[in-house]
Amino acid sequence: MLGIKNIASYLPQNKISNYDKKDQFELNDDFIENKIGVKAHALKEKDEKASDLCVKAFENLLQKENIDISLIDCCVVVTQNPDFNIPHTSAIVHGKLGFSQECASFDISLGCSGYVYGLSNIISFMKNNGLKKGLLFTADPYSEIVDSEDKNTALLFGDGATVTYITEEGIYIPKAFSFGTSGKDYKELICGDKLYMNGRAVFNFTATTIPKHIQNLLEKNGLEDSSIDKYILHQGSKYIVDTIRKRLKVDVQKVPFDMYDYGNTVSSSIPIILEKEMKIDTNRRFVISGFGVGLSWASAILEKN
Amino acid sequence: MKATVENIKEVIAEADVLASIDGMVNDVPLREQGIDSLDVVNVYLLLEEKFDVKIPDEDLEQVQTIDAIVEYINNKLS
Repeated sequence: MLGIKNIASYLPQNKISNYDKKDQFELNDDFIENKIGVKAHALKEKDEKASDLCVKAFENLLQKENIDISLIDCCVVVTQNPDFNIPHTSAIVHGKLGFSQECASFDISLGCSGYVYGLSNIISFMKNNGLKKGLLFTADPYSEIVDSEDKNTALLFGDGATVTYITEEGIYIPKAFSFGTSGKDYKELICGDKLYMNGRAVFNFTATTIPKHIQNLLEKNGLEDSSIDKYILHQGSKYIVDTIRKRLKVDVQKVPFDMYDYGNTVSSSIPIILEKEMKIDTNRRFVISGFGVGLSWASAILEKN
Repeated sequence: MKATVENIKEVIAEADVLASIDGMVNDVPLREQGIDSLDVVNVYLLLEEKFDVKIPDEDLEQVQTIDAIVEYINNKLS
């Protein structure tokens, strides 16, 4: 059955420490560690583009999976910081990795909800078109758009990329998806020349919308908290992850928090954690949930095959 | 429901932003009493939910202390 066979990620070795910004932004250690939850954020090389990060994630996938590149028939990239406005980054990734001319390639322009949307898209597209081996990339290098003087964003975002290998031998299968949009609020998280985020508006949205959205998804599918092994939430900040967890009334052990050493990687945050959690045998059912730019949100239930 | 100092303090306790609300002073800004910039946003959200009012960004200067919050919310409710 089509599903997630494997995941690999790439996080740049170069890091910027938030402890070095304590004077600039009047921070203390408690705020860095327990509120923002980012001690250091990953930073790509200046001349690296989204496609380069995707290629590095794919090289890491090759360390774990024996993949015949000539058989890849679908290549999807989730990004809002593409290499160029034209063409689509997935075509560039396709070219750099040498996929066949029969391989379908397209981008999905979404931010923090992008992985869940991407998973639904690639699986539906592959099913409808009889495709067998797909790759879902996420790469949104926010270092290109963050204003280093803006406290609301300069402490949060990190660069990174992931690739999810979709085959008929899927180990985790999506069982249900749910999506949402609040387009009237699009200005609350927006990039003209530089990224702007209304922190209060984004916090209020996540705290009020996402717990209800996840509860509705569970109810619609006849599931309760006791049926879920882990909730893999987009790592917006520690404060946001903690707030959603408390409002869901879920045990802290069931909600991994992982961004301390690399930051908010936008659409990559969920697959970075999923890659680690997939290795734990007892994890049979996940809720994954992404939310942010748009404002947009999406959640899914994944079950072990 | 009318806002009182006591139920504003209950909301602050519910927000789980301070070890104890016992020593809180009613006429000193929350930010000067150990509630940081993220916690105070959480407190405002809980106040909005509890009293079913909106506190727009442009009004935030009017809700810096517990006394000011009580007055602001009761004006909204009246």
